[in-house]
Amino acid sequence: MLNDRRTRGFQQVNYNRPNSVRSSPGFAAVPKDSHPPSLHWRGEPTRGEAEAVLAALEPVTASRYELSVGPRRVRTVTYLDTVDWRLRGKGLVASHERASGPGTLTIDGDGVSGTTRLTELPQWPARVEQLPEGEARDGMASAMWVRAVGPVLRSRAVTREVAVLDDEGKTVVRLDWAEVTGIDPVATPPLVRVSLWPVLGYGRDAKRVRKALRAAEGFADVDGDLYDGLLTAAGIVPEEAAAPAITREMPADVAIATALHGFAGVIAVNVNGVLDDIDTEFLHDLRVAVRRTRSLLKLAGDVLPPRLVARYEPDFKWLGDITTPTRDLDVYLLEFDALTAMLVAGEPDDLAPFGELLRAEREKARRTLARALRSQRFTRLIEGWQAALAEIIDRERSEAELSAEALAGQRVRRMVKKVVRRARSITPESPSESVHDLRKRCKELRYLLEVVKPVCDEAAHRAVIKDLKKVQDILGAFQDGEVQSESLRGFAERLQAGNRRPPAATLLAMGELSAGFVDMQLRARHDLTEALERFLGPATHERIKALLP
Amino acid sequence: MKVVASYNVKGGVGKTTAAVNLAYLASARGRRTLIWDLDPQGAATYLFRVKPKVKGGSAKLVGGARPVEAALKGTDFHGLDLLPADFTYRNMDLDLARSHRKAGKAARALARLLRDLADDYDVVFLDTPPSLSLVSENVLRAADLVLVPIIPTVLALRTFDQLAEFVDTLDRDRPRLHAFFSMADRRKALHREIIADLPRRREGVSPTAIPALSVIEQMAVRRAPLPAYAPNSPAARAFESLWSEIAELLPA
Repeated sequence: MLNDRRTRGFQQVNYNRPNSVRSSPGFAAVPKDSHPPSLHWRGEPTRGEAEAVLAALEPVTASRYELSVGPRRVRTVTYLDTVDWRLRGKGLVASHERASGPGTLTIDGDGVSGTTRLTELPQWPARVEQLPEGEARDGMASAMWVRAVGPVLRSRAVTREVAVLDDEGKTVVRLDWAEVTGIDPVATPPLVRVSLWPVLGYGRDAKRVRKALRAAEGFADVDGDLYDGLLTAAGIVPEEAAAPAITREMPADVAIATALHGFAGVIAVNVNGVLDDIDTEFLHDLRVAVRRTRSLLKLAGDVLPPRLVARYEPDFKWLGDITTPTRDLDVYLLEFDALTAMLVAGEPDDLAPFGELLRAEREKARRTLARALRSQRFTRLIEGWQAALAEIIDRERSEAELSAEALAGQRVRRMVKKVVRRARSITPESPSESVHDLRKRCKELRYLLEVVKPVCDEAAHRAVIKDLKKVQDILGAFQDGEVQSESLRGFAERLQAGNRRPPAATLLAMGELSAGFVDMQLRARHDLTEALERFLGPATHERIKALLP
Repeated sequence: MKVVASYNVKGGVGKTTAAVNLAYLASARGRRTLIWDLDPQGAATYLFRVKPKVKGGSAKLVGGARPVEAALKGTDFHGLDLLPADFTYRNMDLDLARSHRKAGKAARALARLLRDLADDYDVVFLDTPPSLSLVSENVLRAADLVLVPIIPTVLALRTFDQLAEFVDTLDRDRPRLHAFFSMADRRKALHREIIADLPRRREGVSPTAIPALSVIEQMAVRRAPLPAYAPNSPAARAFESLWSEIAELLPA
């Protein structure tokens, strides 16, 4: 029902935007940070035209209310997330909204909400430090971790705000009419939603309006928010596509090829992120996949055609080696603030020349890495390897073959024996090399256990991994302490040999860091004895026995 | 949470106008704001288009039988809520006295009720009825700042002096007084003289004068705060500058 109040409250007064309403005590009827009840409109899209929107909402006026329609707004909304859906995993939705000008960056979700007005157009992908300072960045930082956010989906939103007025002309419910169309990466038909924002003290009216709309033809309840609806419409599956798991009955070679094919997929999918230097995790994930590949080839590669293994094993070693310098420098730079905080005698600024050296060396290493990843050798490695594995996976199978389950039992037992033997031989006097060797074997066991997880007892698997992780953490600290103190020596020498000799304070501060790493190694060495005793005890033994049939 | 009372013993001096417009400006500047219309006539409630009805009335509200939160209403403006008037507020003096046997408690009952809202609001405006009563004493004890609209006449000034004397007699919970000129008519020589002279001579008197203009009277027709429909009018600007003064006196 149209009337002369239709535009009151919108052209002249400061109308509340529903997304800002949530933080207002005036709208306490909707719990903070929750989403309002929404209904899906099945009728024809209105393109936000006032007459059409009011006609669709006619059932509201039939009860006892009048409607006052606000201005039509059109904007593009770009939804953002990290490549591994970290924001979504934490229940957060980040978006860049823009009508004219640089727009706003918004974060919304479980216990977090904030909007930052932008002063310039953002560039995607962006890591935390590349985002503009403000509420939105603060709300996303922890969930993003070191990963960059980039566009998941770009949409065009046409919205109308409609106030439901009582007989005093007071707004008792706010309706947010939104028609959203996916634009990129795929075009989707418009999704039309109406959200109901109850006003504090008018809960009964909100219920009445919702009931009237639900009873009307054309409206239906809807689960999930608009973003969910858009993702579904665009065919985007938010969860990381899991690599096909191995099964108990699979022939052993097929199972190993399946796992390796999964790792190859992870390598391939992270290459562009490394080349574009989006964030450091692309390289980390790529390296983990390479390590897993090499480990599995070593422990179970004998079930694959020997020529295939002989052909690719050296290439994966090469791939691992060319990625190491950049990753080592990444780790240093990621930890740089923590390193400066470690200084007791030195000042944080003392390490600035060291930071510059790290950044320069990292840039150089990354360029070398990029050349290698663009090389024919790499392309041939990945494509040839994936094709060869696919052939094994698709081969004809017979019944009398060694099963994945049997192979898993055999190899895990063998590997456990090896780890236990080495662990038993470690004494407080053992040389560092023996500890490093144990660390490598533990890592191999861990990778193997992760591959054969689907054929293991679930609870026992979880417990064994937990035991192993404790030992690995200490072994890792031991290794880090030694490697870091040694590499610091190398950095110091290169700084000295450079064109600009560093101030004495820099070298002193690096010396202090080095001492800290040695201390870390000594502490890890002390903790190791106790951790190994626990690991070699009867509880772990029982768990390993329960792991596989 | 800061409590600001708009108070004067005299009626018709612009208390409600000030409370409504300043509450609107406080919320528009980002402070989570509540306005409590304590006047049974319910003018502020009317201006926000809310029905003057509080379930259980004054007795249950001041007696604590019904929580204050249950009576709150969201206005049409972001961050601004209203605790509406109710006709039973005319008996609030009696209800306060009845529900609190000790005189000291009865005089601080509203302050205690407001404490329950401390996490939800940054500032609460009290629009008060024109009287000197137990409700008034509650208001003066609950308030951090008492805004006193005065019409620039000698008699009105005398009333302000009387109020200041009364506040001085309070043993504790003594609020700060901040008077401002209301309904100022610059065509009148006496108004001009007092507006120019008094703020210099007297501490706690604002140099800001709210003019007597018909655009302010239109609030009752439009049923909205003045800055919402005439943000650039001289009267709205005067309220803006008054709010800036108050904001400085009430750091967030």
